[in-house]
Amino acid sequence: MSTVVDRPVTVTEVDGGGDPPKARERRRWGLTIVGSIVALIFLFPYLIMLIGAFKTRPEILRVPPTYLPQEWAPSNFLTMWDTPETPLPANLLSTVVISLCGTALALLAALPAAYYTARHNFRLKLPFLLLVLITQMLQPTVLASGLFREFITLEINDTWLTMILVNAAFNLSFAVWIMHSFFASVPKEIEEAAWLDGCSRGQSLTRIMLPLVWPGIVTAVIFTFIACWNEFAASLILLPTDTNQPLTVALTRFIGQYESAWQYVFAVSLIGIVPVVALFALIEKHLVSGLTAGGVK
Amino acid sequence: MATVTFDGASRYYAGNDKPAVDQLDLEVEDGEFLVLVGPSGCGKSTTLRMLAGLEGVDEGAVRIGERDVTNLPPKDRDIAMVFQNYALYPHMTVADNIGFHLKIKKMPKAERAERVLEAAKLLDLEPYLERKPAKLSGGQRQRVAMGRAIVRRPQVFCMDEPLSNLDAKLRVQTRTQIASLQRRLGVTTIYVTHDQVEAMTMGDRVAVLKDGLLQQCDTPIGLFGRPKNLFVAGFIGSPAMNLIPATVNGDGAVIGGQPIGLTPAQREALTSPNVVVGVRPEGWTLKPAGEGIGAMVEVVEELGSDQFLYCSTSAELTAADASEAADESEAPHTITVRAPGMSAFQRGEKVGLVPQPGAVHLFDAETGDRLPD
Ligand SMILES: Nc1ncnc2c1ncn2[C@@H]1O[C@H](COP(=O)(O)OP(=O)(O)OP(=O)(O)O)[C@@H](O)[C@H]1O
Ligand SMILES: [Mg+2]
Repeated sequence: MSTVVDRPVTVTEVDGGGDPPKARERRRWGLTIVGSIVALIFLFPYLIMLIGAFKTRPEILRVPPTYLPQEWAPSNFLTMWDTPETPLPANLLSTVVISLCGTALALLAALPAAYYTARHNFRLKLPFLLLVLITQMLQPTVLASGLFREFITLEINDTWLTMILVNAAFNLSFAVWIMHSFFASVPKEIEEAAWLDGCSRGQSLTRIMLPLVWPGIVTAVIFTFIACWNEFAASLILLPTDTNQPLTVALTRFIGQYESAWQYVFAVSLIGIVPVVALFALIEKHLVSGLTAGGVK
Repeated sequence: MATVTFDGASRYYAGNDKPAVDQLDLEVEDGEFLVLVGPSGCGKSTTLRMLAGLEGVDEGAVRIGERDVTNLPPKDRDIAMVFQNYALYPHMTVADNIGFHLKIKKMPKAERAERVLEAAKLLDLEPYLERKPAKLSGGQRQRVAMGRAIVRRPQVFCMDEPLSNLDAKLRVQTRTQIASLQRRLGVTTIYVTHDQVEAMTMGDRVAVLKDGLLQQCDTPIGLFGRPKNLFVAGFIGSPAMNLIPATVNGDGAVIGGQPIGLTPAQREALTSPNVVVGVRPEGWTLKPAGEGIGAMVEVVEELGSDQFLYCSTSAELTAADASEAADESEAPHTITVRAPGMSAFQRGEKVGLVPQPGAVHLFDAETGDRLPD
């Protein structure tokens, strides 16, 4: 959490303050260059994806490969919606519905749990929190076959609901822990002051607690949403019908045994990450720490 | 405005057999400034929180005026509280902090702003109304916390060590401000502190707590002049009262070979020959060596206005000077004595100590209770 909200370490903090100016200048340049190279290495796959999405099918398979498309093919973004491999509009809808509902459900369950564990002491509090943490360690893949059986018994197999439940469950622990720490960081006297000021429990929650733990909620929402959006393994097993499958699974259908539609793989990947990046950019400014500063002492 | 009554109120915390507040009976009058004082962990905060409804009452009852509030949620008790850590709402401006209660009570905006301004003026907070608490100094935060309380005109003020985070000078200033503000507003106030000077200077009455048990509740003068037991005697007054164990014989309680007389009623009340003689530092008359209890000055503490002498007594000192056999078994004592400021006492000087008439407090060493006067 703190890596998200903390400000980045600046160059001046990294280099030694005591060095002579010339050495410091050299060092700063060196750091900038090294940083740029590292960034480039990280960004390269995204660049390939971006460029590949605009290449025609023959060009993308050409040996030797081209860097920039010789013939730009934005039509990939239109034709991909209607391909024999997968019903992409349905897949996109699947991803959106599953991610939104999964996030909402996780949040709905995690918020009260986080508040309660942060404010109240009960006998099995630590075991409870550790249990929550342990669920984080089990991969959905490990449990997929068990879940598959379970959903058949419940007669909800091969529906969005299964993946909404699975996604919510697997992200619950992270959401609980993040928000627990945020709730715990608000001194309980602040809430008590609100009660004495005439607030009901609900009012003190909405008017005092929520604004103060807002960064924690936003963090939990972003990470849960991204995890739901990117989930692959469990969806692959639990959703056999192609119209129910999310984008992540649909993507694999473009890679066939005999031929692969790489231009679609890239184009679909692109529309798959754009909403997530946009969400992050929109919400990032809410991720400020230190909202509770000044309330006590 | 209202009275506050604790009626055998007890509070047991989970996992603790001993109550944090034990059968508290306390009656606070309308408009009174009552100070709760006692060492750390004695249950002061718990008492206050029981009154505010933040802590359950396991036995007994709490009443505000005629209203039994034992099971009422905090929001319905009409109590304003100043927390030890101020507990300001960090995301609101000073004005919003002060006006929050009025906002919850749906007071019209104009009237609310007027009330907030009035409170802010009273506390010199006007320039800071639009600031967030993070940008205030400790003293300003303290005043915002006060402002949040006084803007409400509640039935009862609860204050839990509101001055403990301020520096010494500001604390003295604010102490008088709070006391005079309370007199002006006339709101029944319960004020918690562990600083006995605060307790003595601010309270109409002071209640001394120890281990959850009420020791004594009296006016500052009463507490100072007639402490009910050894604990109160030692706790109230600075420097502390000299508490000297002594054994009673036919002449009285013997200290340093000198008897201090007991009344027949006092002898009657004794449960054993062991008593504790209490004399405050200002209750001694300093005599030349040879008179009274013989003592040697060990440390001289010069405060300018006063001088405190830390003297050690021993049977030999008295015996050598009085040239008669004293009880050799008596252990030496350290006695604090107040002398006028700028006196010429030296370390190592031999002096005689005589308790002033009326300055002697006698306690039963076994029960700790005060012997009848
Ligand atoms: N939430 C709690 N759970 C268990 N025990 C508690 C709790 N709060 C307080 N206690 C215990 O109850 C006793 C009284 O605590 P309280 O906070 O009332 O003391 P206090 O007189 O206010 O002390 P201080 O001057 O240090 O603030 C203490 O022994 C404390 O350990
Ligand atoms: Mg306390």
